[in-house]
Amino acid sequence: MKEFEYLQPKTIAEASELRARYGKAAVLFNGGTDVVIQLRENLIAPDYVIDIKKIPGLNAITFSKSDGLTIGACVTAGAIAADENVKAYYPFLADAAESIGSVQVRNRATCVGNIVNASPLCDTGTPLYAMDAVMCLESARGKREVPITEFITFVRKTVLAEDEIVTAVRVPYIEGAKGVFTKVARRKEVDLSTICGTVVKAGGEYRLAFGAVAPTPVRMPQTEALLSGAELTDALIEQAAKLARTEVKPIDDIRASKAYRLDVVEVIVRNSLRELR
Amino acid sequence: MKKIHVCFTINGEKTELDVRPNCTMLTVIREELHLTGTKVGCGAGECGACTVIVNGKPLNACLVLAPEMDGMEIQTIEGVADHDGNLSPLQQAFIDHAALQCGFCTPGFIMSATALLNENPTPTREEIKHAIAGNLCRCTGYIRIIEAIEDVASRNEGGAN
Repeated sequence: MKEFEYLQPKTIAEASELRARYGKAAVLFNGGTDVVIQLRENLIAPDYVIDIKKIPGLNAITFSKSDGLTIGACVTAGAIAADENVKAYYPFLADAAESIGSVQVRNRATCVGNIVNASPLCDTGTPLYAMDAVMCLESARGKREVPITEFITFVRKTVLAEDEIVTAVRVPYIEGAKGVFTKVARRKEVDLSTICGTVVKAGGEYRLAFGAVAPTPVRMPQTEALLSGAELTDALIEQAAKLARTEVKPIDDIRASKAYRLDVVEVIVRNSLRELR
Repeated sequence: MKKIHVCFTINGEKTELDVRPNCTMLTVIREELHLTGTKVGCGAGECGACTVIVNGKPLNACLVLAPEMDGMEIQTIEGVADHDGNLSPLQQAFIDHAALQCGFCTPGFIMSATALLNENPTPTREEIKHAIAGNLCRCTGYIRIIEAIEDVASRNEGGAN
């Protein structure tokens, strides 16, 4: 691990100023489960590591039916999976958080870090895409909110400006929403998603979000339109499962082939819709 | 390079150190504090050989930077037996069930299982398997490890712990 200076800002303004001053020479540090590995393998070699965990107020997870769920930047996957409100109102998000790594990793890894990393297979991504979650960004210049679907722009690319940090992710509450999270991996625990997907039923609408099938997690607008307000007959589910294949652009990689991923997308859509009808 | 002053508690002892930022808690535990029961395995949070308990929760020491140790309450395998050297029920159960062969993964398993039983004294077999999923063992095939943990859990039934 190359030498670096370890910085612990105590406020968001201070963190923003450090980010602006050091630019690409600095890396943001949160749960560290990805960054420490990148440092150790010299995949990144920053001069400054900015640890945001000493900033007060980023560790809270709050819920109300009017404001929805707000997950602070430093809330761990383990805390999300164990949260009573998440389990009650967003059980598919709890399932996604619990599917990350191991107990040890979940006690460190954060949901916001998972999103800022912008890996196409981020496990907490698809439930948040399906719920139209919003990323809360802040810098010394002010605050702004960006829909998660616009926040991640490509593999490991986001719209986060060089002086900004993500303070939280906000997940709207939808009365009566039900959802199914599915992760397909090479083994049951401690693995990356080969494919992951979340299907949510909200009123008469269906929302489908998939990971590891394109450069970013994706929603499926055509399939969602097909299902909107319709009764889920066997024939419609079959039609939706086939249509869903056309809305993803998977690649061949170390974990699976493109053909396998297309087949599994179809299976996840079919099984999830059957479970939700 | 600027060293960082950290104060933490390890196995009940208050400790202060100046640490290099570009090393992990695992390196500090083994090379500065000479507590070598915590093992270096994959270095990537996948094998669990470096598992320690921090503020009640199991973590991979290989994924924590040394300066983050400030304010932490850390327990390593050396802090599991009591001060007179009496083994914990889990340590004894691992011996009784022959739940180890080469022993390299054992400290990590003991720490994961200790954290589990602290939080949930009577886990099911499935809960045990989920809790130790982040620990790899290449000798035992896991069955005896699970049985050792189940044995201690069964004695916790009814809150006798």
